[in-house]
Amino acid sequence: MLLRLASRNLWRNRRRTLLTLSAMVVSLALLTLSLGVFSGMLVDILSSTTEQYHGHLVINAQGYLDDRDMYLNFPSDPELLKRLQQDGEVIGSSERLRGFGLVSHKDRSYPAELLGIRPEMEKTVTKLHSQLIAGTFPSDADPNGAVLGSGLAKKLSVSPGDELVFVTQAADGSIGNDLLIVRAIFSTGHSGHDNSLILVPKAWLQQLMALEGKIHEIALAVRDPLRAAEDAQRLTSQLNDGLKATDWGELLPEMREAIASFDVSRFIFVVILYFATGLGILNTVFMSVMERTREFGILMALGMRPLQIRLIVLLECLLLGLLGTALGLVVGLLLSSYMALVGIDLSGWITPVTYAGGTIQPRLRAIFEQRNFIDPAYMLLLVSLLAGFLPARRAARLQPVAALRED
Amino acid sequence: METLLLAWRNVWRNRRRTLITILAMSFSLMLIQAFHNLSFGVYAQMVDSGVRSGSGHIAVYRGDYALSRDDRLLWVMDEMGVMGVMGNLQTRITALDGVKAVLPRIYLPALAQSSRESRGILLTGIDPIAENGINPLLKQIDAPALIKSLDGRDALVGSRLLSELKLKVGNKFVVTAQGPEGQLVSELLRIRGLVKSGIREVDGSLVMVGRQRAALMTGQSEAIHELAVILENPDLEEKLLPLIGAMLPADSGLNAVSWELAMANLANAIKLDYASQKFIFLIIVLIVTIGVVNTLLMSVMERIREFGVILAVGASPARLRATVMTEALLLGAVSMLFGNLLGALATWYLVEIGIDLRDFIPETMEFGGVVFDPVMRAAWDINYMLQMSAYVLLLSVIASLYPAAKAARIAPAVAMRHH
Amino acid sequence: MPLISLNNLSKIYPLGNQQIVAVQELDLRIEAGEFAVLAGPSGSGKTTVLNIVGALDTPSTGRVRVDGCDYREMKPKALADFRLRRIGFIFQSYNLIPVLTAAENAEFTLMLQGVAPKARRAKISALFAELGIAGLEERRPNDLSGGQQQRVAIARAIAPEPAVILADEPTANLDSHTAEDLLQLMRRLNREKGTTFLFSSHDPLVIAHAERVISLRDGRLENDIRQEIG
Ligand SMILES: Nc1ncnc2c1ncn2[C@@H]1O[C@H](COP(=O)(O)OP(=O)(O)OP(=O)(O)O)[C@@H](O)[C@H]1O
Ligand SMILES: [Mg+2]
Repeated sequence: MLLRLASRNLWRNRRRTLLTLSAMVVSLALLTLSLGVFSGMLVDILSSTTEQYHGHLVINAQGYLDDRDMYLNFPSDPELLKRLQQDGEVIGSSERLRGFGLVSHKDRSYPAELLGIRPEMEKTVTKLHSQLIAGTFPSDADPNGAVLGSGLAKKLSVSPGDELVFVTQAADGSIGNDLLIVRAIFSTGHSGHDNSLILVPKAWLQQLMALEGKIHEIALAVRDPLRAAEDAQRLTSQLNDGLKATDWGELLPEMREAIASFDVSRFIFVVILYFATGLGILNTVFMSVMERTREFGILMALGMRPLQIRLIVLLECLLLGLLGTALGLVVGLLLSSYMALVGIDLSGWITPVTYAGGTIQPRLRAIFEQRNFIDPAYMLLLVSLLAGFLPARRAARLQPVAALRED
Repeated sequence: METLLLAWRNVWRNRRRTLITILAMSFSLMLIQAFHNLSFGVYAQMVDSGVRSGSGHIAVYRGDYALSRDDRLLWVMDEMGVMGVMGNLQTRITALDGVKAVLPRIYLPALAQSSRESRGILLTGIDPIAENGINPLLKQIDAPALIKSLDGRDALVGSRLLSELKLKVGNKFVVTAQGPEGQLVSELLRIRGLVKSGIREVDGSLVMVGRQRAALMTGQSEAIHELAVILENPDLEEKLLPLIGAMLPADSGLNAVSWELAMANLANAIKLDYASQKFIFLIIVLIVTIGVVNTLLMSVMERIREFGVILAVGASPARLRATVMTEALLLGAVSMLFGNLLGALATWYLVEIGIDLRDFIPETMEFGGVVFDPVMRAAWDINYMLQMSAYVLLLSVIASLYPAAKAARIAPAVAMRHH
Repeated sequence: MPLISLNNLSKIYPLGNQQIVAVQELDLRIEAGEFAVLAGPSGSGKTTVLNIVGALDTPSTGRVRVDGCDYREMKPKALADFRLRRIGFIFQSYNLIPVLTAAENAEFTLMLQGVAPKARRAKISALFAELGIAGLEERRPNDLSGGQQQRVAIARAIAPEPAVILADEPTANLDSHTAEDLLQLMRRLNREKGTTFLFSSHDPLVIAHAERVISLRDGRLENDIRQEIG
């Protein structure tokens, strides 16, 4: 009956309750929406370097990542690759050789970074093949097909079918140069990659650099990018001496920090919004308690204990909180789904922005992350109870005689 | 006056409710003012360090260099017919009021080679004397390590690049770029010092030399890409941009652009950040408005009987509406005053002491191509604070529309029977 | 031993730097099964005495014993429990909880005592029938007349079978016809169940129905008359 009493009291002043409820729904729904959009941005940032370049983790010879020394290579090992592919967490792997040099077309020359890959393997790790703006992604059989970034292609003024000459220092100290044919052009929005990256056949680059059978890294994609650090640790222990697995967080510490600091800003954001919401709830509950002073007097005369009175008020707040949370979550889910499925294109307004080493794409797109819903929901319940605390105490402290004198 | 006094007394009839409402309104005003001022300060700092190492507040480029970064868009100050009558373009811009420095620069994509490795770089030719003390990239470098002449072989190299090339300060290395006819030209440079900015792109690919040394590779020792104009204060940009633009001969293909265009990354980073902040402000305002509507509506509903009496003795509904709106305005005015006080206090704290984020983010967090200072400091934006104060008043009047309409619709006979 | 005994009871309200003496050195004994009224002009202290007897208020000096319990020796929680089990209240107006139905209002004290819902329902139905309000169980207080509301309040007061029912001007808001009916009803309950009733009222009708009229004036006992009624 206490529950019934509380729920009916809640609807006594329908207009007031609805207004308070709408404030709660607005804050929770828009909160989850914006957290979803921020998470979407972080995913964009993360994928701009992982899915467009590094992979979620890379296996290199010890020390290679410090200065990308071309001599810190290791032999391509089909056994190792097979073992990696059988790991439950690994969903893609690609062997790569890296070279730096000058790439020329006619009288234009620019510095470039070449990744020697096998196209079919690379597709399992990065998404460059799905970001082509011209041409088609080469097949494994292509002996010298190249895929290059849009910025570089524009500066060189090349399009698919054109020839490129690449000059680099080989491992034996000689200067190597050879021909490439442009097969495709990708555009990622990340200026670093678009302006200098070229994918070439691994065998072609191995031969040019006099590093037959050698690779610099195995890039891996894993099931859960946010757990890549654990995977890296586990894999390292399974690797031969001299090899080490490194996750994206270690490759890009500032990005890891940026993602970690999202938790702090999420918290601050939630606290600020709920402060305003909480004051609204406090006001409503206070008003409803003050209006019912005489009623509380009667309840006390009937033998209700202060603790029970307090419970009634808190119960009302809890109900209000549950209702607000449920509705807020529903609206938040709807808004987030819209933003996840449709999103908002900002490319007319801004260009891609770099952040913590990654790139924020000019679009708003929400992603669903449990924490973006659960944390704000719990907090809203907590805030409703907190907001009820003072009025509940006030009601419980009423003197029956004084309360009965009110009308 | 009497109406005002009466409204004032009515506002305080339910003291607790009024206080809570005022607290919510003024607290939100404070938050919005303080956060805006904080961003205002942080953005100003980012823009300042961005324009000093980047394009300047205003940059002069040939053609669409700002967008295309096409290194063929070289130009020579004297050749552009700017010399002659009125002297060099650089001197003339420098002579303008409010211009702090004018920095000529040349940027060449090139390949740097040590005996073991090669890496793609951006060979940046500068005027060392003019840049010193302005360009933040040079700030951490000790005086003896700075490059001194326009055409010397001394170079400053990004820290990551240095280790990737397996070089040390004092070593020599070769830079290869494309010459005027498309042939490859190489230069031998000596490492004089290293640049450690915290920006991945800069530390991994910057090589800085005297601008004539770089320009010689293109065949013209006076060739540059950019004239970066640093102003005394960013607000002068609006005034100086057309003045500088007017100095450029019409047939030269030169144009002056603002930093927002030249450094789209930074400008967009700020835009994006500010937009998301505005969205948060909007949510807060929405919530607080609902709260104010609630309070006003309750105070009307409580007094239905009383309003009935007032109507019965001959007051017009319009008068009741005015009463409610006056009360709302008073509520808004008190919140505005109190909120401004809190906002000013918070801003003062943020200006003087700031927020130290060094425990949360690395010291070299990059945003929009510049290093984001982990000690955030606010700056006063009085205009904005006043504007927000006006909004608070406006908001309380808007919030009172529905309750006021409700009060004006009361039927005296029904109201008198209420309770 | 009397059911209610007040010894040298005084109640002084501080009001600013003044002191208002509401009750002064009052000695009073009421036996179980009595049907008594506290009479007297407005401000004479009737409500104050009832509140003190009902353990809602504490005396400034003096001693209160009700049903063998000395209030001075009891903690607030025990007092609340005592009110719940041994005392029934009926007020002048706004007596019921507006969000509960008539039946729920009447059941309320039983619910607080932890009586099972079924047993509560049964008891309340019987009481409603007895009080002539059968069929009104699901109505909200706002949809009941003043007399019906007071009957529900009486049902609520007698449901836990308290030692005494305290009624503060229960007829003040009723017309004389309804008041008469209610008084007959309470008189009947008093006789049949032996429930003690203590009223406060200046309504001559109530005074006419009482076996004993205790008159107060300025907080003092003025008269204590037993009268025969038909
Ligand atoms: N809380 C209080 N503070 C100050 N004085 C009080 C308080 N409660 C009652 N009084 C005073 O005590 C005196 C007795 O009041 P009480 O309510 O007991 O009178 P009453 O006989 O019930 O009057 P009525 O017939 O008008 O209900 C009055 O003078 C009243 O003003
Ligand atoms: Mg009284």
